[in-house]
This record gives sequence, C-alpha cells and structure tokens, in this order.
Amino acid sequence: MTSSPTGITYCKCLCVVICSLPTLLIPPAMRAALLIQRWYRQYVARLEMRRRCTWNIFQSIEYAGEQDQIKLYNFFGYLMDHFTPASSERNLISHIFRENNICHNVDWERYFCYKSIEVPELYSGPHLSFPITCSNAAELVEAFKNKQQLHSRYVLQLLGETWRLLRILPNISQISTCHNKEITICGDLHGHLEDLLLVFYKNGLPSSEKPYVFNGDFVDRGKDSLEILLILFSFLLVYPNDVHLNRGNHEDHIVNLRYGFTKEVLGKYRLHGKKILKLLQKIFSWLPLATVIDHKVLVLHGGISDTTDLHLISRVDRHKYVSALRPPKRKRQNRSGMTDSDLEDDDPTAKSVDSSRRRVHSLTHSSSTGTRHEVQRRSLQGLNNRVTCSVEEELKERRRQAGLSQSYGDLRNSLTNSDSDPDPDSGELLESYGDEWKQIVDMLWSDPMPQDGCVPNEVRGGGCYWGPDVTEEVLRRHNLTLLIRSHECKQEGYEFCHNRRVLTIFSASNYYEVGSNRGAYIRMGPDLVPHFIQYQANRATRALTLRQSVGRTERSALRALREKLFAHKSDLISSFQEYDPENTGLISLGHWAGAMEAVLRLGLPWRVLRSQLVGDTLDGMLDYHLWFRELAITEPNTELSNASLLETMYKHHSNLETIFRIIDTDNSGLISFEEFRQTWKLLSSHLQTEISDEAISDLAVSIDFNKDGSIDINEFMEAFRLVGGDLLQNEGDPH
Amino acid sequence: MAPKKKEEPKEAPKPKAPEPEPVKIPEFNPTEVVLEFTPEQIEDFKDAFQLFDRTPLNEMKITYGQCGDVIRALGQNPTNAEIMYVLGKPKAEEMATKMMDFDSFLPIHQHICKAKDRGTYEDFVEGLRVFDKLGDGTVMGAELRHVLASLGEKMKEDEVEQLMTNQEDANGCVNYEAFVKHVMAS
Repeated sequence: MTSSPTGITYCKCLCVVICSLPTLLIPPAMRAALLIQRWYRQYVARLEMRRRCTWNIFQSIEYAGEQDQIKLYNFFGYLMDHFTPASSERNLISHIFRENNICHNVDWERYFCYKSIEVPELYSGPHLSFPITCSNAAELVEAFKNKQQLHSRYVLQLLGETWRLLRILPNISQISTCHNKEITICGDLHGHLEDLLLVFYKNGLPSSEKPYVFNGDFVDRGKDSLEILLILFSFLLVYPNDVHLNRGNHEDHIVNLRYGFTKEVLGKYRLHGKKILKLLQKIFSWLPLATVIDHKVLVLHGGISDTTDLHLISRVDRHKYVSALRPPKRKRQNRSGMTDSDLEDDDPTAKSVDSSRRRVHSLTHSSSTGTRHEVQRRSLQGLNNRVTCSVEEELKERRRQAGLSQSYGDLRNSLTNSDSDPDPDSGELLESYGDEWKQIVDMLWSDPMPQDGCVPNEVRGGGCYWGPDVTEEVLRRHNLTLLIRSHECKQEGYEFCHNRRVLTIFSASNYYEVGSNRGAYIRMGPDLVPHFIQYQANRATRALTLRQSVGRTERSALRALREKLFAHKSDLISSFQEYDPENTGLISLGHWAGAMEAVLRLGLPWRVLRSQLVGDTLDGMLDYHLWFRELAITEPNTELSNASLLETMYKHHSNLETIFRIIDTDNSGLISFEEFRQTWKLLSSHLQTEISDEAISDLAVSIDFNKDGSIDINEFMEAFRLVGGDLLQNEGDPH
Repeated sequence: MAPKKKEEPKEAPKPKAPEPEPVKIPEFNPTEVVLEFTPEQIEDFKDAFQLFDRTPLNEMKITYGQCGDVIRALGQNPTNAEIMYVLGKPKAEEMATKMMDFDSFLPIHQHICKAKDRGTYEDFVEGLRVFDKLGDGTVMGAELRHVLASLGEKMKEDEVEQLMTNQEDANGCVNYEAFVKHVMAS
C-alpha cells in the first residue's frame, strides 16, 4: 500500500472494485490518474501497431527485392545454359559468369599494381605507408570522419595487402578470450560509417587489447561502404590476430550491382574504380566464413541449416565461391587433354553447346524445367514461358505456412540430376560441389524461424529457414553453446531466439529510415555471456518522442509502398476489375485488400494499412480510379507515350539498373544505344512481355544523349525515379 | 485524513469509498456476450490480431498479455483492471504463456467495446484541472508525473517519461489542454 501526498491510500486489489463504482464516488485525483493512464496505454498500443506495420512494409519490400535479384540471376543462368555462345544476349551477360582464377596470382598482382599511380602534390587526404601501423589506421578513421577520400594509389595498395593476408587465413577463425580479453562483436554495417565511428567512439579502436569480430554485410545501401572496408582492412593488417572479418551475403559482386556498392565505388573513383572493384571481388571471395570463440560460440553472418557441417566448411576452397549466388564452374578437360582453365577472352569454340554447366535453377529448391539434357538451340521466347512459370510457382506467400513439403532433399536431388553430364566420374565431383555450395549459401543467407524444421528461404530466395530443433542439433553436434549471427535488422539492435541459443546482432542504426531502429554491439568475456551496448547514430532522433519517431519511419514506409502501388497500377486495376464485372468503378474494401495482396504479394496487413492508404469511401465501397489519382505520385516529365513501357520501368527499376551495370563491362557508367536496346530485350524476355524496337527507340529519343551517343546510367535511372507527393512534409512535423 | 498503517494479514482491506462493503462482481462469462460486430469489422480485427500473432505456424493466437494491446490498438481504452476482468483474472505467470485464439477474443473485445464512460476530452480536462492549483490552465509537470506513477494504475518511470517528453515548458509547467490533445491524438 502506498500513500500519496494528498492523503489518499490506494490498494491494488481494490482496483476492479473502484473502477466499477459510480464515477462520482471515485476521488477526483484518482479518476484523473486512471483516465490519463488508460489513454496512455491506448496511445502506446496504437503506436506499437503502427510500428509493426511499418516494419513489415520495409522488410517485405526489402526481401521482395532480394527475391527479385535471385529471379533475375536465375534467368541469366538459364540463358547461359540454354543459348548458344553466338547469341548476342548471352554474350552480354556471360562475363559475369566467368570464373575468377583465370590467371595466376602473379598476373593479377601485376594488373592491380598501384606503383604507377602518382599521388599529386595537391592531394590533401591521408598518406599511408606500408607495413601499415596503428597510427596509420587511426589516421584513416580521422580522415574519413572529416569526409576526406583516400587516394586510389593507397586504396589499391591497401587492398592488395589485404588480399595477400586473407589468402593465408583459414575458413573458420578460432579465437579465445584468454588473458581476460573481452571480445567485441559487430553485426551488419551496410555502409553506415557514422555507426562504425560511434562504435569506435564508445568502445575504442581495435587493438591487441581490444579484439573485434565484424560479422559481414559491410557494404551496400549506405553511402560509405568503401570507407568502412578500408578502415576494417587497415585494422586487420595491423592486428591480424585480433581483428576478424566474416563474409556476409552482400560481400558479393553480383549483389553489389543492385544494392549500390558498385555505383559508389565507380562514383568515387572514376579512373581506377574498375580495378578496385575487381580486386574487391577477389577479396570478398577470400573473406573467412565464420569465427568460433573458445570452441563454444559460433559467429557467422546468416545462419545454419540441418546439414551444416563445420568440418566440411573448414576444408573447402572458399575463394572458388566468388558469388554465393552460383556455384563455381568445374575445370573440364578439353579435347587436347589440357585443363580448360577459363580464358579471359570469350572464345566461343572452347565452349561447346554440350558443355553442361552444373548449376541449380533455383537457389531454394528444385523445379521442373523440362528435359534438362536437351541442350539445343532454342528461341528466346519458346523457353521463356517455362522459365518464368516455374519461377512464379516457386514464389509462395511470405507468411510461412505450416507443413511445407519442399525440403533440402529435393534440392540435393536436383543437383545430381541436373545438367546431365556424360562424364560419369564427375558425378561425385558434382555432388561435393553441390554440398559445399549449399553449406556456404546457408551460412550467408539463412534466417531463424520459430517452428521446428528446416525449409527453403523463399522470402529471400537463398538459404533456408531453420528452427529451434536444428539449432539444438547443430550446436550439440559441434559441441557449441551459442550461435551469434546478423543478417536481419532488429528494432533494438539485437534479439535472442530459440531459447536464447541464437542471438542476432545488427549494428546499422536507422537502417530503414532515420529513427527506425537502434544499432548494437556485443561485448563478451571469458564467461561467454553477451553484454549489449545500443546506440542510434543521429542526434536528432534521440530527441524525438516515440510518436514522432514512429511517425517519421511510417511516412517513409508508406511513401515506398505508394510508389510500389503506382508502379503496379495496371495489374492492380485489372485485379480490381475482376471484382467489378459491371464496371461501376467501385469495389468493396474487402475485395480491395484481397486484390492488393494478390498483385503485390508482400504479405502485408492491408486492412490495418487501409486507413493510411485509402481516403474516403462511399458506404464501404472504394472508387479505385479516383484512389489512384489521389496517390499523388508524381511522374517525371517525359514525352514518352508508351505508358506500359514507363510502368515497366517503375516496376522493375532495380532489375533494369542491375542489367545496365552488368552490360557495362568496362564499368564506365555509360552504355551505347545498342547495349541499351539489348538491355530492354533481356528485360522483356525475363518478364515475358513484348517490347518493340520502336518503343525502345522512342524511349531513347526521350532521353538526352551524350554527344558520343552513349547513355549515362545514373542519369537515366534518376530521370525515371518516382517521386512521392508528400515529400514536402518537413521533418519538424509535431506528429 | 491520517494515512492508513500497514494492514494486518488477517484483516480484510477496506475500500475508502463511502460504500461499507466491497461490491460483489460476478465473473466474466464470455458465452453471455452477444456479438454485434459486422463481418467487415471482424475482418479488420483479424488483420490486427494477426499482426500481434507470433506463433510458429500462424495459428491466429496471441498471449493473454497481448490481449490488452490488441484491444487498445483497435481503438478502445480499457483500464488494466478491466482487461484482467475479461480475461478471467489470470495469474501473473499465465500472461506470457496462456494463449487466446481469435474466436475467444471476440466476446472479450465486444464487452470492452460496449462499456460506457470512455472518457471524453472534457472529462479529461476536468480531471487534470484538479491539479491546477493556480487555475491558470497549467499543472506542475512534476506533480503530474508523481500522480501518474503513484495513483490509479501506476505507470512506470520510463512510461511517464515517454508520455511527458516535450510537454513541459521552461518552468516545468504543462498546459493541460494541449497535453490532453496530444494524448488523445494518436
């Protein structure tokens, strides 16, 4: 019992009684308190619901983008497998499938040589000397804090040294907390330099007294990915026994094409960007895959599966897996008996139509794509249907259903049955490559799920979802006690699951939007108990009220969602019209929700979102044409008359950009008109739509060409970016 | 009035209201509740319910502890006591473990929706006026914080902090009409 200054005592067990009394009999102060408290609790609950909705929106869109990427990539792989080398479409993209260990390392060293690059007198950025010292590394941190850029000579030199070091590191780093050292573990950084700086500020720079593990996804999305890499690599070089880097799914040049890292490097280093990217490609493939602390705590980026075997993983040649999105090509014997190490120049005669490349059509599970051993010349259109249909079938609803029938057994089967190989001996080789590759993809892409079992991760398109039983089994098998992973953004920067046997750590604060989430890092001593330090790298957000912070993130999510709605306008309208056979222009809200999910497949709570997306309704009926007009998405000024082409551009913005960047083989940021045309042809095959040459020419005409007849990719993409109507709302909004 | 001493365990606690005996309240019986929701409303509730569902197989179940949150998220503002009442007064440890499915949730939600005296803007302002010593439309932030943390269904310190952020002026005073608008406008 407590007593308040006004002399009223309050006994908790009487609360029900008191509340049921006629109002006038409750003392006024108590009445006031109860009223305020009730409203407060409602306020908090409503905010929580909005916050969850917003989170769902961002996450759905993020994962749908990743799915998209995989679909596109699978499509290219299919092209590679089934079209002749002479086909121009195949040639456009074949270079991204080319193996990396083409020449000996000596030749590569010569290619990456920095020595001829002069550093001009005018250069005011940091100077590095090698072997690099800890003051060099600290200087680099300061320089980047002051927004300076490291000269390309030093970049190449630093990366070269890093590459050399990584080649001698094992797949799985073993570290210990002996001498009472506390280890610091950071999760995804995604180019957020301010978060890394904040961690260093709070926790101190890496040193032999202060070991760090960085758990992957250093790049993409944020704008300072390269600076983060340079900082991490410099500390790695200074303290190779105390700084540990694990590879993430974004340490992958194919993923970088889509998510911004490639663009960032080319933008910052116009002359040497291409070389830097190539060297980074090698470095990424050489990054270790996991770290084990005191033989008890496993740290890796994505997760595990029911087949995870650390002994197997420690034996693989990890650098063969340049991109986790496809397994490496086997070295094959050509007719003269010499090993056909892939040639730099694309020699069509070396690759016969029969060369069956072992790959998996879907990263997640097998699909039937007709008789696989029929490797013949076929037209682009004919096979397209089959590819697109099977990919569509593979897409399931985001909300995980019970009793998924697809298992990894199916995947394994597809590997041995796929691409019939006339050589019986290579059957085993196929199997072992398949196993290895699957292990690596699982480590980099998987997510935990609450229910038992292990099923393909169809939301992302790679890796699997694994359950608490799999955690127990894998930990037990390897005599471990805890799994620390990253890969998923968490509101508080960290989250436990699976009976606290799995810990997710995420270090990029404000990931979806300013104010969306905190970042965190772990400190762990010899007792192996994790301690968390949370932060948010933006002074402004700390002062926001909960509602302002939720509101801001929500506005951003809704904007992104509205853009998606607009981009899918014609599909949505067709879907609405199915519910409106008499063409009244009206549909019920229930049908609206159904149609939205059917078209967008984002698994979002449309009814809950309705109040944010839909204005007035007439008796519960929505005028859908009016609704689209009210979405207030501004189209860019263009004389383009072909509306469906424009819509394709909005809907497949990222795919288009990815294809452009793939085609841009010299990474110049420019493509020719012919390449532009080929891009559209490729995209139309992938999407199974018809795009006429005339439409493409119209599109080209509506753009300003550079004088030499080339198109600047960045300019083009910017010209067709959608702009949401409420961008005018300022940040000082009190709500 | 002298503050009451700590009660002897065997003594039954007495209410401070004029009523001499505690009112006997029957237990909540969900089967007696008549559902008046339209099918549209029920679909809406399902969406919100699902947003809070964290079960492995999307079983459309939430914990007892979440029931209050869902009801509030859907626009009602019951007291914690009212929530405990419709839940059948579960034990503290059951709040996190006992599950409620959607069909059981509906009568509970219906009962809360039917309750009268939800509190209007005027009631609210009236309530706060109690603390307006000077009659100038403001209350002391510190007093308000204290009341919220010690009276009624006490709020925790961080909850009070969250509610009161940016509400007090330089002198630590809160204009309560603005405050009420702020709380009611979520």
